[in-house]
Amino acid sequence: MKTLLSRAIFGACLGAMSAITAIADEVILTHDKAFYSTFLQAVGDVCGFKEQAYTPPEQFKAFVQSSIASGQTPEMFTWWSGATFRDEMVATGQIAQLDDLWAELIANGSFTAASADPFTVDGHKYALPLAFNKWVMFYNPTLFAKAGITGEPKTWDEMMADADTLKAAGITPFVATNQDGWRGFIWFEEIMIRLSPEKYLGLFDGTTSYSDPVVHQAFQMWSDMYAKGYFSDPRSNQEVVDFAGGGGAMNLMGDWAVGLLTQAGMEVGKTLDAFVVPNVSADTPAGMIYEASPLMISVEAAKNPAVMDAMRCWASDEGATVWANTSGLFMGNLNAPAPNAIVPKINKFSIDNNAALYSRWWEGVPADLQGDSVAAFASFMLNPTMEQADKVIAQVTGLHDAYWAEHK
Amino acid sequence: MAAKFIDDQTGEVLPFVPKDLMPLLSRRSWAILILAGICAVLWLVPFWYLGISVFKTTEEYTFSGPLGLPSSLRPLWGNMIEAWTAADMGSAFLNSAIYGVVGAGLAVFFAAMAAYALTRLHFRGRGFWFMLIFLGTIFPFQMFLIPLFFGYSKLGIINTQAGMILLYVAIAIPFPTLVLKNHMAQMSIEMDEAARIDGAGEFRVFWSIILPNCAGSLVALFLLQFTWIWNDLLFSMVLGNRPEIRSVMNALQVFQGNYTSTGPNVALTASLLASVPPVLAFVFLRRHFMEGLKV
Amino acid sequence: MTLQTTALSEDDTAIIARLKRPSFAGIDRVQRRRQFWIAMLFLAPAVILTTFVLLAPILFNVWLSFTKWKKFTGLDQFAGLANYTNLLNNPQFGEASTNAVIWVTASLVLPVGLGLIFALSLRGLPFENTLKTIIFLPRVIAPTSIGVIWFYVYAPKGLLNAGIEAVSGAPVDIGWLYQDNTIMASIVVTYLWQNVGLVMVLLLLGLAAIPKDPIEAARMDGATPWQVFVHIVLPLLLPTLLVVSMLSIIAGFGAFDLLWVMGLGYPGRRTLSLSVYMYFEGFSKGSWAYAAAIAVVLGAITLVVTWAQAWLQVRADGLKG
Repeated sequence: MKTLLSRAIFGACLGAMSAITAIADEVILTHDKAFYSTFLQAVGDVCGFKEQAYTPPEQFKAFVQSSIASGQTPEMFTWWSGATFRDEMVATGQIAQLDDLWAELIANGSFTAASADPFTVDGHKYALPLAFNKWVMFYNPTLFAKAGITGEPKTWDEMMADADTLKAAGITPFVATNQDGWRGFIWFEEIMIRLSPEKYLGLFDGTTSYSDPVVHQAFQMWSDMYAKGYFSDPRSNQEVVDFAGGGGAMNLMGDWAVGLLTQAGMEVGKTLDAFVVPNVSADTPAGMIYEASPLMISVEAAKNPAVMDAMRCWASDEGATVWANTSGLFMGNLNAPAPNAIVPKINKFSIDNNAALYSRWWEGVPADLQGDSVAAFASFMLNPTMEQADKVIAQVTGLHDAYWAEHK
Repeated sequence: MAAKFIDDQTGEVLPFVPKDLMPLLSRRSWAILILAGICAVLWLVPFWYLGISVFKTTEEYTFSGPLGLPSSLRPLWGNMIEAWTAADMGSAFLNSAIYGVVGAGLAVFFAAMAAYALTRLHFRGRGFWFMLIFLGTIFPFQMFLIPLFFGYSKLGIINTQAGMILLYVAIAIPFPTLVLKNHMAQMSIEMDEAARIDGAGEFRVFWSIILPNCAGSLVALFLLQFTWIWNDLLFSMVLGNRPEIRSVMNALQVFQGNYTSTGPNVALTASLLASVPPVLAFVFLRRHFMEGLKV
Repeated sequence: MTLQTTALSEDDTAIIARLKRPSFAGIDRVQRRRQFWIAMLFLAPAVILTTFVLLAPILFNVWLSFTKWKKFTGLDQFAGLANYTNLLNNPQFGEASTNAVIWVTASLVLPVGLGLIFALSLRGLPFENTLKTIIFLPRVIAPTSIGVIWFYVYAPKGLLNAGIEAVSGAPVDIGWLYQDNTIMASIVVTYLWQNVGLVMVLLLLGLAAIPKDPIEAARMDGATPWQVFVHIVLPLLLPTLLVVSMLSIIAGFGAFDLLWVMGLGYPGRRTLSLSVYMYFEGFSKGSWAYAAAIAVVLGAITLVVTWAQAWLQVRADGLKG
């Protein structure tokens, strides 16, 4: 008995130790994007790291927070840009500065200087882009043609007219769901920037209150669109399938969704294309929402040449090419091939119209308020009346005003 | 407490409505029987829904609606394969099996050792030691979550199989200790006294005399704890989230979101598969369950 | 830790092998000490594991709830009762507590009530065992699986709406798990379906233990079945009902799986119950200390309920005897 027991204990210890040492050998990229795992590993095979996914994002956040709290910052990991990156992540002092690496990348012409902006805090650069995405309106040209619509809408009114035409043809104009609980802000932010970019940006630092008339107007427009039957059932938990299966003609989403949509059977150019949502007023300057995912390393890991090599390789033409080819994502490296026809089309729009880029609402607002506010938006999508909108506005105003009163 | 009513063959029924005083089936009994029958049918409806849904393809599910009957039995295989690949159910099953078997096995064995000391050996502070072990079950699981999460992160055993097993062994110890303590306290002391006089050591007495005599309880407790570990979602969500480490229950969540483009038919197939081991454990060893609870 | 190393040492196992248990009367001091150490060896795995993996975390959690533990920094300044006053001032905590009380009450009253009805009325019926097995069946399925199954039963295009459509002939589009006024009732029904079988079995155990004599006597005296039930069976069943109720309350406050899985698409998911709220604050927002305080509140509730059970148990036993 004794030998059996001691062997069992010995075996367990050995197993635990080998598990730990196996991890210590390789450069590990920790992330929460399980749906990119194979693509990340494809780059990892070239650049010498191993990806490791934690899902869902809540657990990933918890893991990173507790790792940093206990002094064991992951060596290479992803995060979110915006307030949480600036005020929380970089503020820990555990994130390595990448100023030298960026200087190299900008000098050799593979990145524009502006592409470092989302990752710059107090003049220092702390991350490489995992992806640099813009938010666009995907549409299904086949369904547009079926309803007799030619061309993309150039004004907000045209877009609404198209929605009417689609509706009349028995096609749901927009697919929009609450899947995964975070999507409530998508239409809110889009309508906001189409109405007033200044007011939108003011939401991020408390200069715009959610009780502002523009916010009310945005909800009114959103509610009217629901009343006209423009949106699909928000309770669906398979948005990609709904849109790819023809359950609606348009879908507002980050251009990272191209890969998911083509996987689900859509074909770029035939059944899938995209345009930038037009502004409500012609006076408003062109602009769109962007989303930048940072890829960072810890101060400790920056001393390890293997980690630095992996980072350098990630942003190199070679790494960016593998990333573009596998994931269909654009990281900002100008020498990498366009991952699909939609990305260059949107980039061209951006350059031609000198479009401003606005941070996504999720990254823009204080991290502590994200969850509660987005849940409030979601409750509006489930009950899109102005009565509910007033409740939501009051609730969100309360949360944000209290926060800014404390954090001025 | 006797558990005879469970098999009910004994006819040991509560006689406040004695059978012999009533006509075999009075009008009231008929009414009760019909009501009970309706309840039973209602109770079976979700099973029937599960049963037909796993034989549908996603298109079939969408178009025929949840009430429609499947057109063939073949889609089950495709659903199983999709469930298997979409959430990596293969490794999830293996993980859950390891956690369940090793966790429950070690826990019941350690509990038996503790119960042996608490009932067969004489030393001061037995009540204290028992309370120390038993205290672990009094508090809600929420009190363990944050400290374990931090502790595991610090020790580097978060998201490892060893870490999951450690937790499951510990958390599965107190209840079997209580049951086995009661059981062993009822066992006669004469046979182990006799063995000791014959020169057997305490381990020998424990291993060859006491353990075989509790075999029924041990099996029942093992099954109970196995089922508990298999069904656990909370700890798996907090301590074991990596796809290679996560348990079946944790993997099931993949079907509810996270960009997988699977239909309800696949999610339902996966939840059916995930419940097969606890159902088997219950069906095959039902009697052991009840014997174990009897004490 | 010394215990752990001793557990493996050759010497001690040799001692165990050599040692014979003497009769208690003639135990001398040396032998008594040996007995103690042998007992410690047997107790060691259980005691060490429960102490370090279960009890230490509880103490740590209580300490944490009095600190200002922040995400990322993990700074552990003592904060006194700050987390607890924050709890009281936070409307979400109020919402979660109210929901928890509603949930616990419903998940206590309904299963115990229906379980009692089943336990009493299924007796002596034809197909008694089949009926009981069917009622118990859901209990065997994993709770997470049950959550997934019922998630689709209640889905807008799910079984329930389709069933109502088939009966009423009119299109039905109720999002049972998406609306404030239906979600709790929907999950309670699922919980009832899942648990009434277990409650029934526990109550049957209690019924089987009731002596027949007083019942026979009462029937001889011409008491109706209802009188027999109210005046004899119910008082004798009280201790069992008490235990079942207390277990239900404790299980109710800790319930997580069903609420979590079925609340997936509900914007108010985080405040469905205190257990879910605690998970959200800790593992989603990173308010560790605040979440620890919620856990302590849950722990306190459990302790009070356990204590109340023990107290009532004594009184009920006194009543019976």
